[in-house]
Amino acid sequence: MVSLFIIIPFVLAAFLPLIEKVSKRFLPDLLTNLAILFLLIYSMTFGYQVVASHSGIRHFQWFNQNLNIVFALDGFSLFMLFAIYLVSFGVTLFSIDYMEHYGSKGIFYALFMIMVGGMSGLVLATDLFTIYVFLEVAAISSYGLVAYGLKHDELEASFKYLALSAVATAFLLLGIALIFSITGSLKLGDIADRFFKEDAKFIMYICTGFFIFGFGLKAALVPFHSWLPDAHPSAPAPISAMLSGLLIKVSGVYALTRIFLNVFGLTPAVSTVLMYLGIISILVGAVLALGQDDIKRMLAYSSISQVGYIILGFGAGTSFAIMGALFHILNHALAKGLLFLNSGSVEHSTGTRDLNKMGGLGKRMPITAATTVVGSLSVAGVPPLNGFWSKLFIIIGLLQARAYGFAFVAVLASIITLWYYIIIQRRAFFGKLKETLQNVKEVPFWMALSTLLIALVCIIIGIGFPVVISKWITPAVNILEYGIRYAMQYLRL
Amino acid sequence: MQELYLISLCALVFFSVLAVLLKDLLKAALSLMAASVFLAVVLFFMKAYYAGVFEISVVAGLITVLFVSTIGLTRGDDFKESKLPVYIFPLFFIWFIIIDILIMYLLLSKMPPLTKWLSESGKFGDVLWQKRTFDLFAQIGIIFAGVFSVLALFRKRDKND
Repeated sequence: MVSLFIIIPFVLAAFLPLIEKVSKRFLPDLLTNLAILFLLIYSMTFGYQVVASHSGIRHFQWFNQNLNIVFALDGFSLFMLFAIYLVSFGVTLFSIDYMEHYGSKGIFYALFMIMVGGMSGLVLATDLFTIYVFLEVAAISSYGLVAYGLKHDELEASFKYLALSAVATAFLLLGIALIFSITGSLKLGDIADRFFKEDAKFIMYICTGFFIFGFGLKAALVPFHSWLPDAHPSAPAPISAMLSGLLIKVSGVYALTRIFLNVFGLTPAVSTVLMYLGIISILVGAVLALGQDDIKRMLAYSSISQVGYIILGFGAGTSFAIMGALFHILNHALAKGLLFLNSGSVEHSTGTRDLNKMGGLGKRMPITAATTVVGSLSVAGVPPLNGFWSKLFIIIGLLQARAYGFAFVAVLASIITLWYYIIIQRRAFFGKLKETLQNVKEVPFWMALSTLLIALVCIIIGIGFPVVISKWITPAVNILEYGIRYAMQYLRL
Repeated sequence: MQELYLISLCALVFFSVLAVLLKDLLKAALSLMAASVFLAVVLFFMKAYYAGVFEISVVAGLITVLFVSTIGLTRGDDFKESKLPVYIFPLFFIWFIIIDILIMYLLLSKMPPLTKWLSESGKFGDVLWQKRTFDLFAQIGIIFAGVFSVLALFRKRDKND
């Protein structure tokens, strides 16, 4: 059942605060981790079979009543689901120990599961308004999660995030309303068909503008990025990992890509706009990351830069570029998730995020230091780690599209990325151990295990990338390359 | 009728912006209430009667009562109102109306008449209960997210925090 991807997170979320009354820690930890693990395995087994047999269309029913809502599990949505559950599993394992001192684990996990359910619904939806509603589900739970620490900075960041997201939402709704008034439908297939048949290019370009603004703000593309460097560092580390690793990609990049490539079609004008937004984000994010002393803030700026690579790849529109962009979604979700979790480990052990107050931590926290090296090298694109291959594909794709200047800047920014990740390593983990950090210890078991597992996955994907490409990425590339014909044929339900 | 519709739209924008600009919370809450009433009028004009009734009863009614009671119970000294709204607001409002009219004029002249495809139109109840039922389930998700967020914000912290 495709709908299990949505039902399980929501049902568990509804019961978790009640379960917390019976067992404060053990049951919420166990059930959440089991549910996410089940969804991960389910996506890899059942989900993969459904996509392979091209039978991924499911009409949602409730007590045998058709609810006139349709979910489609295709190569693209399955790939996103796989990425969501893989990173989420690492995050929930990490949360077992990390969220201990925050209190009310049941409510934390409930919000977490609602966010996962919202993201799952978003990638399975075949209808513009359903996409919007699930986007809001994920967004509202993330506001609560950013503020979860209840300190001044967290509350301020959450409010800023909420206010800017509301602006994004207003633009998205405006675009959706305009599309509905023109096409009379909200189904992706119908919209693609009617825009293709009717000469409504002017309206389509207006909607394109609204969506670039709305989804661009959700994806934190420059110049819509101002909320991210506040919101992501302020949240508890597992939530920073989810927001930077997944949410900006699902609610921003996925939705943008699905609409522009499968519904509107990637016109040369839109392609150019996306490529420029991508390259500006890459450069601005990388340069701003260089000047940061707060480790999480540096990672947040790095996310802006890496999302730029993904958008640049989709904007270029060639096979290799799309393949690289999709692969970079997974790789960056894993590596940035790992780095945010490790920044949480450092903060947990030292009580600070300020790089000036760190030094020599590798001696006291060897697992955290080693896994941070893996995450950093992966994001910077050093071979043979996973991030290298995705960036390589994007750059080959840019060369195929004869965008030589963009390719050059992308390589240059990759060197800047390596530079600021070396700064993190040198200032935090290498050198002489500071006197104030003499009593620092390695993080508890579940936190260490979680980061080790994610680092291992980064290495395995780096070495075995052809398998990941053929099994998970190629079906998604085929769908995006098929363009609006895909929506017209398969999403008219 | 058309004029009344346009006046309601302008008044909606006017009171919404005023609610943001006013420093006195009580006046801001009353401006929000006025904005809600005009939004309800707009919804009635658009034949969205249920939405209009909800807007008046819940937002203009219930929420305003909650706001006013809370402000009344917690209010400290009187605020000195900023002069910014007096000078800036009328200029902003006129500018907004001109830009809005220009955009709508451009937009309407370019919109093709595609009403033949209105497959999802129909009575409010039909659309909500028969064609878009699932949205209600997703909206339950939104309500849950909101409730849990409030519970998280007002939760008891551990002793050692």
